[in-house]
Amino acid sequence: MKFIVSSSYLLKQLSAIKGVITTNPVVPILENFLFEITDGTLKVTASDLQTSMITEIEVEAKENGSIAVPAKILLETLSNLPEQPVTISVDEDTYSIEISSDNGRYKLSGENATDFPKVPEVTNGFSVNISSDVLSTAINNTFFATSNDELRPAMTGVYIKLDETNTTFVATDGHRLVRYRRVDVAADVTNSMIIPRKALNLLKTTLPVANTNVSVEFNVSNAYFKFDHVKMICRLIDERFPDYDNVIPAENNNIMTIDRLEFLSSMKRIAIYANKTTHQVRIKITGSELMISAEDLDFSNEANERLSCEHDGEDIEIGFNAQFLIQMLSNLESKKISFKLQAANKAGLLVPVDKDENEDLLMLVMPVMLNNYV
Amino acid sequence: MATMWSPATDHRSIIHMDLDSFFVSVERLQNDYFVGKPLLIGGGSDRGVVASCSYEARAFGVHSAMPMRLAKQLCPEAIVVRGDMERYSQYSQMVTEIVHEAVPSYEKSSIDEFYVDLTGMEKFFGCMKLATELKARIRKETGLPISFGLSENKTVSKVATNESKPDGQRQIAYGTEKGFLSPLTVDKIPMVGEKTAYTLRKMGVQKIHTLQQVPVEMLAAVFGKMGRVISEKANGIDRTPIVPYSERKSISTENTFEQDTIDVKKLESILVAMTEQLAFKLRKEQQLTSCVTVKIRYSDFDTHTLQRKMPYTSADHVLIPMVKELFKKAYSRRMLIRLIGVRFSGLVHGNYQINLFEDTEEGIKLYQAMDKLRQRHGDKAVVRAVGMGVSRRSFNPFNGAAA
Repeated sequence: MKFIVSSSYLLKQLSAIKGVITTNPVVPILENFLFEITDGTLKVTASDLQTSMITEIEVEAKENGSIAVPAKILLETLSNLPEQPVTISVDEDTYSIEISSDNGRYKLSGENATDFPKVPEVTNGFSVNISSDVLSTAINNTFFATSNDELRPAMTGVYIKLDETNTTFVATDGHRLVRYRRVDVAADVTNSMIIPRKALNLLKTTLPVANTNVSVEFNVSNAYFKFDHVKMICRLIDERFPDYDNVIPAENNNIMTIDRLEFLSSMKRIAIYANKTTHQVRIKITGSELMISAEDLDFSNEANERLSCEHDGEDIEIGFNAQFLIQMLSNLESKKISFKLQAANKAGLLVPVDKDENEDLLMLVMPVMLNNYV
Repeated sequence: MATMWSPATDHRSIIHMDLDSFFVSVERLQNDYFVGKPLLIGGGSDRGVVASCSYEARAFGVHSAMPMRLAKQLCPEAIVVRGDMERYSQYSQMVTEIVHEAVPSYEKSSIDEFYVDLTGMEKFFGCMKLATELKARIRKETGLPISFGLSENKTVSKVATNESKPDGQRQIAYGTEKGFLSPLTVDKIPMVGEKTAYTLRKMGVQKIHTLQQVPVEMLAAVFGKMGRVISEKANGIDRTPIVPYSERKSISTENTFEQDTIDVKKLESILVAMTEQLAFKLRKEQQLTSCVTVKIRYSDFDTHTLQRKMPYTSADHVLIPMVKELFKKAYSRRMLIRLIGVRFSGLVHGNYQINLFEDTEEGIKLYQAMDKLRQRHGDKAVVRAVGMGVSRRSFNPFNGAAA
């Protein structure tokens, strides 16, 4: 088996999918790219068993064949070669690979392609089309709120609920929750799935900048994302997502509205003075004045700032993890945001004041239990 | 930590300060009656140990960490006081504040001991003068007698303090450390305990003077790594720096039973009560824990501990099940238990982060209401029914090992 391809083009395609490969995979062959040539098309697969990514490249090839190529060496070689056509020839009996360029020849040994795990196919699945812009916005808005707690697998991914009228993306780690809803994406039937964070992270980095259509197919166990020359298939998290709708409070009538960037930068400054582990800050709203304060008893650090805001409701004092608020505020885009509160030990809701008519974004954050009775 | 070297001299100035029979002194401040009488502080039961004793009691051969029963035999007329750890902590805190204000760098090595690094200060004040003033100030402001030793390093200063007690002070000039130590018995060296002293005596080493002559290799052969340290200390060499005082990173409680028990139900209820009490303390002090340890000591003194890490919390409903589970795992021998204990470590300042799915509004309000009650009416104002039979007294720190 032998083929000729542009070095930079091959590198570009491989880079798009290389994120799947882990440094220390369960099965050693997963440190390789699987190369398969069928009628002048090179199909490259990378996998970590949970998630697989496939890209297709047109190459000059006379015969068909397949081989597993060590990913790290190949990527390093290509990234250090000047742009030129390279010839890759494979001896399918010894699995030895030779890369020839104008600069010289590089030999490395591959592995038997048949040892590479088979990538599952999605059969009798549902499908839906989403534009890559919408998908990447949805991922960016929700991804950060997923949990790393392996003991609660359901929360380590983003929940996607497809409906006849809209699509909802939800992520939570039990301390905060993001719900992002689009009315311009709809499916024929109601369905839902939980996509693991690694797959979403890969998707986020691979999705093209230019807006294209992403077709999503899925069944009970796998989801398939297709765009441009890239396909990604990932195993879904087979768990029940927590009942998020019931925990979103409806009557948060204590509303503060403020300039998002002003609030964010103030929060960032105060957070420097908060405890480095718990990041706790205190928010006090009296009349139309917002006071943010923090202290780190271990180092006798403390800080407070006063901002003016629009406020409709009773005075309130409530504690939060500043990291949560900072992440949420930086992910929002609206110029102004509303912080809807109810009581010191109940969830707060962050919502953008101005937004696209097709989208609905809600960020929920749980407070910390302040004891004011001392 | 980088050691500060003074430009004027090439050696350090380290003070060791120790409050004289601290618990006794505090008790005497509260009650004049105790002055001049032999006083024992510690668990009143036969299985308790002496946490502290007055100099009058020491004359009878009583010393701290001695079983209470033996102490009472030695000195039958001694008054036994249970002791109030909370009050001792308060006084300790008062002294710490005074030290903190007066010196640049100090280490609080126990509730009643401090090391102070005065290197470089002699140029301005004179270390001995400064230390004497500090001693007088502590005496004046808290009423507690304190002794100190001043020398080039921590070991010699500590020995000097012990030699100057009670209510004394002593300076060991640079270069005379070896001579100062040599007439003393080997057990005066900190870290040479009963066992090491016994081994040394069997080797024919009674006095530090002899120990100074013993080749390092020989000590290393007998005591391993510690042999070298012992040899250095005997020669008045100790390079360990002052580790500045930092807040404690764990809270714990343990309970030695009047009688060894195998009653799992009772053990569990005690654990629940202990956990509840510690968790309340966490919330009161606005702290969170990330590591829970359960300790079991069987009647043959075989001791097991088991610990588990978890996300930061201070909530009973997270901690109690975890303590119970750890206990079930740790209690592997069907044998009588002498002591159980709970420890929370990995503490940070902060409040409980409410969980969206696991906590209910009622639950959070319940915590706040319970804590408010306890704040006003004491720890035991409201407790879980299972722990109700467990008396508050069980958690007296003096019933177990010495404080």
